[in-house]
Amino acid sequence: MNRQTLLGWSFLSPALMAVVMFFLLPVILTVVFAFTNMSTSTGILGGEYQISESDLRRLPAAGVSNESVEMLAGAGYAVRPETLALFASDFGDERADELDALHGGAVFDDRRAIERALKDLRRDPIRSVRDRKAAAEMFRISILGQRYPTEAAFADAIADIGVPDADRAALTEAAYTGWTFTTQNFELLWELPATWRYAMNSVVYVVLTLAFNVSFGLFLAFSTFYLPTRTAQTFRAIWFLPRILPPVLYVLMWQWLTWDQGFISTILRPFGIEPINWMRHTATHAWTFIVLINGCVGASLGMILFSSSLRAIPETQLYAAQVDGANRWQQVRFVLLPQMRWPILFITSYQTLSLLTSFEYILLATDGGPGRQTEVWALAAYHTALSNYGGNLEYGLGAAYALALVIIGILLSALYLRFFNFRELVAKPRIEQ
Amino acid sequence: MNTSIKGNWILILALTLFSAPLVIMYGFQLIDSVSRPAPGGIIPQEWELTNWRFLWEPIDSARPSIWRVTFNTFVFASTTALLVCAFSITAAYALSRLNFPARRFFLAGLIMLHAFPTITLIIAIFIVLQFLGLYDSLMGVILVKAALELPFGIWIMKGFYDSVPWEIEMAGVQDGASRFRVWWELILPQVKPGLSALLIFSFLAGWSEFILPLVLAPGADAQVLATYMNAVIADDTRPDYGLFKAIGMFYALPVIAIYLLFQKRLMNIYGGGTKG
Repeated sequence: MNRQTLLGWSFLSPALMAVVMFFLLPVILTVVFAFTNMSTSTGILGGEYQISESDLRRLPAAGVSNESVEMLAGAGYAVRPETLALFASDFGDERADELDALHGGAVFDDRRAIERALKDLRRDPIRSVRDRKAAAEMFRISILGQRYPTEAAFADAIADIGVPDADRAALTEAAYTGWTFTTQNFELLWELPATWRYAMNSVVYVVLTLAFNVSFGLFLAFSTFYLPTRTAQTFRAIWFLPRILPPVLYVLMWQWLTWDQGFISTILRPFGIEPINWMRHTATHAWTFIVLINGCVGASLGMILFSSSLRAIPETQLYAAQVDGANRWQQVRFVLLPQMRWPILFITSYQTLSLLTSFEYILLATDGGPGRQTEVWALAAYHTALSNYGGNLEYGLGAAYALALVIIGILLSALYLRFFNFRELVAKPRIEQ
Repeated sequence: MNTSIKGNWILILALTLFSAPLVIMYGFQLIDSVSRPAPGGIIPQEWELTNWRFLWEPIDSARPSIWRVTFNTFVFASTTALLVCAFSITAAYALSRLNFPARRFFLAGLIMLHAFPTITLIIAIFIVLQFLGLYDSLMGVILVKAALELPFGIWIMKGFYDSVPWEIEMAGVQDGASRFRVWWELILPQVKPGLSALLIFSFLAGWSEFILPLVLAPGADAQVLATYMNAVIADDTRPDYGLFKAIGMFYALPVIAIYLLFQKRLMNIYGGGTKG
């Protein structure tokens, strides 16, 4: 390795590490998680093996025979040589011998029954309630409610109570509390009618906002282009602010403008219009304001880019058009606009991708409401995996939502790679030639 | 070309009308933070500073102090900005000027990452942070934010390196300096304006960031102004817009100050960068 390669790698490595950690790994993990049922209840690290009382009812559906279910339910406390030995070491051989004589080989269904037997020992009954409980626990053979950290421990336990071989695999699978690999996320997405609505919402949102962004960005760029510098600068500053104001504050201003005691309601009241929440009253209201809120941010980006490419057009072309008698509209339409093709294409392609995946402003403005009528795909992913009122966050299903966006993102950004003038960009460094 | 005000009154009128909602919102954002409107109205009735009470007393007992939150925000924004700059100046130089294997591949990767919508990865990043034990800590959000801003930073810095004439470097190398020394002593001073623009931009990006702290550090200890303000707004059953706007004003003051100071530079970088 020559010195320059070494320097190149060492200069690149910190950035490379960050990219691997927070881009490549998450992309791969999104794919992996999309094929799991990971959620708050399964946890994200591994799980344990446990059958609880309430699990018994769903076991037959999971392929466990009724015989085994009864075995799990019936098994309680048994006086057996191995449980007796355990008991003897803590509570003395005498008690153990007497218990063996009285109840050897007996099975008790619940704890109270075995505790009564322990209390009724003639020679030396266990009087303390606490001791009795501890002693009863030693005879316990039921695995209900018991946690087993490994599959082997669970297999031993079900073998002990005599679950037939045929049922063990199904039972083990049903007892696992951690996440498992599955394709049910995609089946669910395919079946749910809401999926299609979120997809449609995303399309509506992207198309409307994009149309607003591009047309209004163009309008701002052209109109400020023809104004005296000071006036143009004032308007540009007004339209630039939405871009740099923190989103939380920017959306708060819109909330104030539209809430039922806000600006719009107040100035319309003298005209006999009932105060309503203009942003959340109906889906149409919500969409209008979502497009406006996003549009004002997007239009300012359009304005900046379009303005700078307008300034790059030689003014002589405009003078020539003026001499030929073109009015201002004709100048814009036939001289300026045709030269803006690339910036317009760039803004359109870039914002399609970023609008499709961003949900920040919608989250702050309507949170998908009213109902779920402004819930776009990206917001649905967020709600499913990271914030819902039910409390059980479904990481797996959310990742399946996100996976669709990740795939679109990779495809479109690979496509944009061709738009850029790639060959010029990678021109070889000149020093060594 | 006619650029007088008189000759363009229709355009100015149209622009004024379209800008009116924004101007009204900015205006009342200022007014409402230091006044109380008449009940059921919007005209300010009394000038007062009670909306700013959050600065000297907690709004309610469960909330961390505003100064703690402001400190967190400052640490978050400035550390992010420094990390982005530190990683960008080296990586961008390597991509712009050094000839090493796989350079083309990294450049293609950079362009793709630059366009790739990182927010889609948030679910996986959330789980990665839990694995790493960095969930709900300021450190975790800082690392994630810096990493996500990095493609943009490298992209911008590469642009600045590309515009430095090769002759400077050639001269340095011919005089016997190592490539590292050439970079440190000759090239880096040339890209200082770009570096400061990137520093300001990343600081603002960190200062305004909302989704990442919301998802990755929801606890009270790592709260930043964006999540603090959002929580105050979300908790209130009867909205107190005077208070909200005062908090918002406090939150936005550094942003507005930076904007007024570095307007030109920011316009350039926002034009070159393509976030949102």
